[in-house]
Amino acid sequence: MARVHHDVLSVEWVKLELIRTAYATRGGLFASMDPRAVVVWYIGLAIVPWFTHNITVLAGLFAIGVISIILARVGPLILGLFVLGMGMEVVYMSVAAWLFGGNVDTLIALAALNLKLGVVALASMAAFVSLDPEKLSDALIAFRAPQMLAFGVSYGYRMLPILIEEFSTVFEGYRLRTAPPPKRGLLGWRVGAQWAQMVVLSFYPIFLNTAKSVRTTVEALETRGFTHAGADASGRRIRMAKLRIRPRDVIVVVVTAIAVVLVFAAGAAWPLYR
Amino acid sequence: MSDPVIVIENLSFRYPGADSDVLRNVNLTIERGDFVAIVGGNGAAKTTLCKTFNGLIPHYWSGEFAGIVTVDGVDTYTSSVSELSTRVGYVYQDFQNQLVRPTVRDDVAFGPINFGRTSYRDDSDAALDSLGISGLADRHVWQLSGGQAHLTALAGALALKPEVIIVDEPVAELDPARAEEIYERLTELNRDHGVTVITIEHHAEFVARYARSVVLMAHGSPVWHLPVDDALRRTDELEMHGIPAPQAVQLVRGLGMDAAPRTPADAAALLADRPIAPDAVVPTAADVAPGRVVAEARGVTHGYKAVGGGITRVLDDLNTTLRSGERIALVGGNGAGKSTLLKLLAGIIVARDGEVTIDGRSTRAVSAREMSSTAAYLAQHPQLMFLKGSVRDDIALFPRSRRMPDAEGIVDRVIDRVELHALAHRDGRTLSGGQQRRATLSIGLAMRPKLLLLDEPTSSLDTRSRDDVTTMLAELADSIECTVVATHDMQLVAEWASRVLVLEGGRIIADVAPRDLFSDIALWRRVGLRPPQISLLGRELGLDPVPLSVAELFDAYDACGARTTAEVA
Repeated sequence: MARVHHDVLSVEWVKLELIRTAYATRGGLFASMDPRAVVVWYIGLAIVPWFTHNITVLAGLFAIGVISIILARVGPLILGLFVLGMGMEVVYMSVAAWLFGGNVDTLIALAALNLKLGVVALASMAAFVSLDPEKLSDALIAFRAPQMLAFGVSYGYRMLPILIEEFSTVFEGYRLRTAPPPKRGLLGWRVGAQWAQMVVLSFYPIFLNTAKSVRTTVEALETRGFTHAGADASGRRIRMAKLRIRPRDVIVVVVTAIAVVLVFAAGAAWPLYR
Repeated sequence: MSDPVIVIENLSFRYPGADSDVLRNVNLTIERGDFVAIVGGNGAAKTTLCKTFNGLIPHYWSGEFAGIVTVDGVDTYTSSVSELSTRVGYVYQDFQNQLVRPTVRDDVAFGPINFGRTSYRDDSDAALDSLGISGLADRHVWQLSGGQAHLTALAGALALKPEVIIVDEPVAELDPARAEEIYERLTELNRDHGVTVITIEHHAEFVARYARSVVLMAHGSPVWHLPVDDALRRTDELEMHGIPAPQAVQLVRGLGMDAAPRTPADAAALLADRPIAPDAVVPTAADVAPGRVVAEARGVTHGYKAVGGGITRVLDDLNTTLRSGERIALVGGNGAGKSTLLKLLAGIIVARDGEVTIDGRSTRAVSAREMSSTAAYLAQHPQLMFLKGSVRDDIALFPRSRRMPDAEGIVDRVIDRVELHALAHRDGRTLSGGQQRRATLSIGLAMRPKLLLLDEPTSSLDTRSRDDVTTMLAELADSIECTVVATHDMQLVAEWASRVLVLEGGRIIADVAPRDLFSDIALWRRVGLRPPQISLLGRELGLDPVPLSVAELFDAYDACGARTTAEVA
């Protein structure tokens, strides 16, 4: 089989997708909002589904979630993983229910749980795809999360692309420097097993390299006043001064709230397996 | 009038748990507004000394501290890192790890915001502006090239408006052209804003060109602190501490003049009364003629998807043929596609369009894993090539896994060859830069390829390790049919390569011998290369062809001298 260049479903593609997701490069409704409003919106939508067993309500909430991820312009990788995850969950639950002698009721109950998880997942995607690291860490500081947590989140985002890059280099090194298994095995399982082994082994050099480079980071943080900011509130005040709640933020939260109320009303009118 | 910004009196320091002092009885005064280069061999405690200036020693590294360090009138012992950091900015050797926020603007403002300065926006804008990188403000830090990242780190330090800036080995992680830019910016800061600049430097060329005074460190204390002109005259002493003199100084002193020219132009002026014929340099005859075809690229076009969508084209309808016996240097600016071309030539990736053939087989027909025994690629960052716990296991990984007959024998011979006996049992990550390069070179050798491709093998090395790697590359000719090196290091090109491919705009715009490249000023200016100092000096002297090494120019002067003596007789 001739080798050709792939733009999609390659390591490079995964890296680009993760970066696009992490840095909210696709824009979208929530990306232009105040991060505090986004977090409030997210918490609201993530809690609501747990107060009901009504399938009508849950289906309505799910629809709100779907609309949000369209507005948030979620990328294909994350969406694909979500659909795959939901699909596998449904298949697995059905098989389990059937094996253990469940009936339609069991399936309905499981569907309700799946719908709840689905709503939370959709809301999370919409919110976190839209928050770039700066906004997220500002929002965390605004809600008085520990400074270490807020910084850790933003630092994690900064390291992400570099770690992916390093991982692909190390993995490539393993791939080129070890021989492929002599026999492929049934459905190529030996090849799969070797790949899995290499993926795990590739983390070892990366951890060691990161541990080494973090030494400089910690010293640099010290010289750039990180500990000073922990003891002194003026830094926090400056960060908060950048945030503004605008009409659009209020509108989005209010519209969502109204939609949720309408969904509950619809659920009361046409209840399904309450 | 003397106005010292840093005063060190009888300073000694020992790291916790260490057996002996790292700094021994240091006495040093640094004047406000000076541009100081701290030089010295590995382990001379240059970095440790600089960490006493901003209080990291003794406040962050608490060891046994004796003596007094006063910075801008503040005793560091009774102060704190935070307080001192607003007076002393520090740019690390691995500056990439110093950037802690995702975007440039945010990273630069990080310090001022932490210190609660309401003027943080103006401060960071001014810092970006003074370094000429305002245009990068909205970039993500992982998108930056090495030079841009270094300037960002520098801007982050400047935003706190320090009196003193310390830059630890700027040349280590940057190519010479970028390093030169950093030095130009530092010179501006020093001249226009009166900032005291301290750099730790291995490369005498930069010291000669930019510094005003030089501190030579050895065994934990300063040997001397002298104005740059006096310092450069002490070539033997510097050489002894691992800092070979710049090529121009070597030549001038070799000709019996007691002078230390700071630039090729200065050297040419000094040599004005020693006439030399324009064709005095006699190129050594080319070695063996190129043999059979090892690899071939036909109509290769390649590009990458960008974050914003769209494809960034890197290579555009590129054609070339590599033959056995050739030592090829691949040069070109950042992003010219050097690494991409190397990976294509190793069969690790395949092009969007066009064909690469290695040893008669198309890379489209053979998997990357299979091709790796014919063409070996060594990545730019050596630490990413250490997959195992010891250098020996890393070298053995390929032969063992491929069940090569006599795998252990191959490993032993490679270790012999590269003289790695003493280091073979150590983890590759704990080695110094030069040792790491030698270790990765052995990994490549143990793969016994016909074609060896190296990405920047001499970057981030001090002069001596650099020369070691160059020598080793020259010695490989017998076991490798063809070697290709992507590099910014023009001294390597001058001393090692037999053929240079100049890459720009996705094409090979020139395929020449090194001497022709350095003679063609329009060409090297166009791609932003910086010829070795000796070639520049040759050009200043009106020589054509230009010399590639100090020895060549010596011989040329010798020949002229001999001729004039003969005429007189």
